[in-house]
Amino acid sequence: MGPYGSDSTTIASAACSGPEMDAILAGAGFGTRLSGPCNVTNASDYSLPFNPSDLTTWVDSMLTDLTSATTANLPPQPIHATWTNQIYSPLNPTDHAASHVLMAQQRKEEEDSGIRLVHLLMTCADAVQRDNTGLAASLVDEMRVLLSRVNTLSGIGKVAGYFADALFRRIYTTEVPLSTSEYEVLYHHFYESCPYLKFAHFTANQAILEAFEGYDRVHVIDFSLMQGLQWPALIQALALRPGGPPFLRITGIGPPSPDGRDALREVGFKLAELARSVRVRFAFRGVAANRLDDVKPWMLQATQGEAVAVNSVLQLHRLLTDPATTPAPIDSVLEWIVGIRPKVVTVVEQEADHNKPTFIDRFTEALFYYSTMFDSLEGSRPQHQRQMALAEVYLQKEICNIVCCEGENRVERHEPLAQWQTRLANAGLHPVHLGSNAFRQASMLLTLFSDEGYCVEEVDGCLTLGWHSRPLISASAWRAPDADVSPDDSSVIASNSNNCNIIINSNHNNNNSSNNVSGSDDNRISV
Amino acid sequence: MGAEQEQEQLEKEKEKEPDENEDTMDRGYNLNDNVDILAEIMARLDGRSLGVAACVCRLWSTVCKQDRVWEALCDRHVIGGAGDPGTRSVVAALGGYRRLYRLCLGPALDRLTCSGETTDSDKQGWAHLSLSLSLSLFSIDCYERLEGKQRPASLLFLCKPVNVA
Repeated sequence: MGPYGSDSTTIASAACSGPEMDAILAGAGFGTRLSGPCNVTNASDYSLPFNPSDLTTWVDSMLTDLTSATTANLPPQPIHATWTNQIYSPLNPTDHAASHVLMAQQRKEEEDSGIRLVHLLMTCADAVQRDNTGLAASLVDEMRVLLSRVNTLSGIGKVAGYFADALFRRIYTTEVPLSTSEYEVLYHHFYESCPYLKFAHFTANQAILEAFEGYDRVHVIDFSLMQGLQWPALIQALALRPGGPPFLRITGIGPPSPDGRDALREVGFKLAELARSVRVRFAFRGVAANRLDDVKPWMLQATQGEAVAVNSVLQLHRLLTDPATTPAPIDSVLEWIVGIRPKVVTVVEQEADHNKPTFIDRFTEALFYYSTMFDSLEGSRPQHQRQMALAEVYLQKEICNIVCCEGENRVERHEPLAQWQTRLANAGLHPVHLGSNAFRQASMLLTLFSDEGYCVEEVDGCLTLGWHSRPLISASAWRAPDADVSPDDSSVIASNSNNCNIIINSNHNNNNSSNNVSGSDDNRISV
Repeated sequence: MGAEQEQEQLEKEKEKEPDENEDTMDRGYNLNDNVDILAEIMARLDGRSLGVAACVCRLWSTVCKQDRVWEALCDRHVIGGAGDPGTRSVVAALGGYRRLYRLCLGPALDRLTCSGETTDSDKQGWAHLSLSLSLSLFSIDCYERLEGKQRPASLLFLCKPVNVA
């Protein structure tokens, strides 16, 4: 650690207060699982049965054993012999012999418990699928007993704990959706503790930057603004563009904020201030909508002569439905996206198949996927326990949605890249190859983030980021056909470096009222 | 006003001890009398040495705080766009080269040399980062600071302890 580590000694404070945070953590069951400060680097307290990064292979071997109906009592061989290189304190050499035996015994116990846990999870999921609630409930109880004996701070114990919890919620309770502010806090911590979202933002920005070359007026439509963390980098890159920055408009779509606070507008102000400081002419528009299919193209006000980019980070999968039902909202949204004739559509999605019709298939896929996710979270060692805990809660919410919810409530309908490619091609979009610049930037970003484990791959012109060769998130770029408006057609904008407009258009689900608030002259027009 | 008073004081001291002054003038050249040359030398130092140099005396501290010294340091470690006047104004708007190095480039370079990215012995300490990536990260940090109320945490990942086992 260099001399710049002074910031790391203080806890990164979140945007919400302590009690709110505790409420989020308690809601996730953290009160019962974590007791006191947990120091996962202390090897003398417990021993890991196997290399955590080997988790998915191990789960895989467990599941194949179960499906072939043999009693799984073989401890798996750790494929990576380097688990001893992890940051755990080495044993005292003189105690080696005695503690070896002890450790081996503990290891065997842990492995057996882990095997049993996975077995129970699969059986319970099967029972749930067959609506055998009684059996499912008893299995959940058994799992809880087993979990109390297994190390739930890392490895299979932790993942199994989350899935058992999700099954419990499916049987007994109804899943309560998160409030917007809670979700934003979790999102922010997930953003900081692992590189997936950063990779997504930087790759999308690179594609947008390349598509905007030569245009003097550009318009970015962001399907989920959140805190707008993606856009400072784009604003800065446009400022440094040879030939000078264009006139940038950002339209941010987000959920309407309760209690009168206009979150979209606040983010817009911050972005405008940043743009002003680097002398980029900027305008912002916020569109408040609960669902993407509520947004109509006229709200976006895409004008002639400007290059449009549509940016969707982990949003399109929310528009899918069960594969059998048609029409899905995704079709109408893709239709109007193509209608705007964007120069580039950047799509970032989870690389997983969580929209299968049968419950047991979904459950198995999710078990694989989130095991790898949690592995990578542990592997990259986020700065503070609290940050990692909140990032885990973020993932836990996704798990609960996949396992517990059905029908309209289930929004985490992840589909793999190949299916998205087919879907987007059918809608009329042409793929755009993400260039070598994007690849190099992603690789460099990963080197900074962590030394090992993460891997960037190029597949058909799309980039995927994964952990130990299992891709977890994919980024691709598309364009509308014949989207060639010549840059000369655009009208010249009077250059005024202080010209920043903030316009908020809010559309509520059932009302057709819209409020126009212009930041420059403070007029309120209600229609 | 303060400068004038200091000037007066200097002249008084010169009058008081003419003998000693003649001595120092005979001793020859004093680096501290030539701030520009001092700045030129500082511009060739690496980050740690600059930090150490800033602790020597008030004059050196002032010189070391000049952004152009840090600009020279940053330009040596980034690929692309170095020395461009457009770059300079953008970096200045985002917080300056000194802050860019302290928050972003410095930790990143530490991380790169630590992880063995530059394994050539003659390239030791000369790890490079692309300008676009460093400025992207820096701009996110600047953006977080705009809010003011929360401690910006987007660059903390660069300060994480690295597993060098």
